Amino acid sequence: MADIDKRMTLKEAVAKFIHDGDTVYYGGFQIAVPMALTHEIIRQKKRHLTTIESSTDVGGLDLLVGAGCVTEIHTAWIMNWYVKAPYAIRRAFNKGHLKRYDISNFGATSAMMAGFLGIPFIPIRGNTGTDMIKHNTTDLRTIEDPFTGKKQTVVRAWRADVAVIHAQKADRLGNVVSYSTRGVTDEFGAMGSKRGVIVTAEEIVEPEITRSDPDRVIVPYFKTLAVVHCPYGAHPSASRGYYGLDIRFSQYQGKYERHAELLPHFLDEWIYGCADHAAYMKKYVEKFGQEGLDRLKPILGFKPKMDIDYGYHDPACWKGVPLYTDDRLKAYEEALAAKKGGK
Amino acid sequence: MADYKLTELMTIRCAREISDGEVVFVGVGLPIVVAAYAFATHAPNMIMFTEGGAIRATPPPGLAITVDDPALFTNADATFGMLATMAALQRGEVDVAFIGGAQIDKFGNINSTGAGDWSKKESFTYFAGSGGANDMATSGKRVLAIMPQDKKKFVEKCEYITTPGFLGGPGEREALGMIGGGPDCVVSTMGVYRFDEDTKEMYLAEFFPGQSVEKIKAACAWDLKVSPNVVETTPPTAEEVKVLRGIDPTGFYLG
Repeated sequence: MADIDKRMTLKEAVAKFIHDGDTVYYGGFQIAVPMALTHEIIRQKKRHLTTIESSTDVGGLDLLVGAGCVTEIHTAWIMNWYVKAPYAIRRAFNKGHLKRYDISNFGATSAMMAGFLGIPFIPIRGNTGTDMIKHNTTDLRTIEDPFTGKKQTVVRAWRADVAVIHAQKADRLGNVVSYSTRGVTDEFGAMGSKRGVIVTAEEIVEPEITRSDPDRVIVPYFKTLAVVHCPYGAHPSASRGYYGLDIRFSQYQGKYERHAELLPHFLDEWIYGCADHAAYMKKYVEKFGQEGLDRLKPILGFKPKMDIDYGYHDPACWKGVPLYTDDRLKAYEEALAAKKGGK
Repeated sequence: MADYKLTELMTIRCAREISDGEVVFVGVGLPIVVAAYAFATHAPNMIMFTEGGAIRATPPPGLAITVDDPALFTNADATFGMLATMAALQRGEVDVAFIGGAQIDKFGNINSTGAGDWSKKESFTYFAGSGGANDMATSGKRVLAIMPQDKKKFVEKCEYITTPGFLGGPGEREALGMIGGGPDCVVSTMGVYRFDEDTKEMYLAEFFPGQSVEKIKAACAWDLKVSPNVVETTPPTAEEVKVLRGIDPTGFYLG
């Protein structure tokens, strides 16, 4: 069995696997946003990226656009909920630095589902009759249903070059464990990617541990390019079972997002000024105290109570066991044989 | 009369639109509190769907801040993800699509994409975008919307239709093959609205205590029709307010 260790640093993963001009699946939703990867993409000044996702909160994508990394977005919903707007995105759109393609959540999810399925497009009910289908013909069209002749809205398949996601656990081979939402759309966005997936994980576990519970694996190792051990890799969004949403930090970051002249100071202090994510978290504790981190501790005690066993059956038990029969079957088979013999 | 805040009145009024046993798809913001309140009061058999992908027959153990909040997944009935909950919309299994928005027009179309003319990029002010609201309002059996109200938010025609109401009027949803019934009720910061069966135009059904038909008409950019049976909304009781504050004790949503 190939045992390729895909663990590497954040810096190596982004340098090696994200190229200027790539289309990137941007993972998470309101939690599990890949913020450490966001910061590293900004640090390495990647350019002309296109992102695909359904909805994304806490301003990660706003920072990527504000820092000049992303110039095209396909999305249903983007903001930093804690300041109620996507400020850098708004400014970039106004200045003509950003192409934005709007679609509904299920439109986006379906687009990634089509990418996951390896088919060119998929019918959907939503978006019909709105200005989204009017302005976003790159993703949305109306065709004739070949079976009924009726009008049908379709969305083209979205396939990223590379996917960036944050998960709770991964093993060194790249089996990615995400539970509770099962990543919202991460399993489809990631599996539909052409080159593969970069994952940051709160914990690295042994492959025998992930393989003991494969139902929780949302990305299998063959699809994974890089595994980065990165505690607090989703901060200020949450990671289920590890930490909650850092509302105060999102509000703080949001104030910098809001003002074009302030944003560079945030990027300098929290991203360019930090060598890696550990340095960012260290700065956090220096500036807002250990109590800031302590407030994010989740309420635990909700381990599954279902005792399951992934046991299997050994067919060797059939060796030497005579075929089951009874008098009726025997009589029928004898009669059938006699009839054939009589011909 | 009970002492209550506007947010509390809106929440409790919205909850009255939910019947026990219904499947309710809950959007971001106050709808989350409405759902928790409905569970705790008259709709214990409600089924709660969220965009994050949780399906719940019981209220979450804590206050959810977002529709993807870990609390919504703790002791949920199923957590298949966005694909599964939104697929239920497309199958026509959702009774109430409960959404918000930034701007609404007289046919109940909602704009949550931005202000201005989208084609004039330099002046368009982007909001967050549709999220799941479009899917919910396209296919939910009926739509319940909660909106702030002023003349810029209650308009003759939305600057950008993100989420379909009755589009240009009667028959348009049906012509496009939409399976959902469209807008049924709008609860604003001033009153409660319903839609005329024939014209599909929104009309005022109730005004909140302290409001008047005149004030509400003045905060609406078209000539708002008023029900001949318009009434003042029944204010919440002290007991109702107490239950609600128990759900959001720090005033995260309710202020």
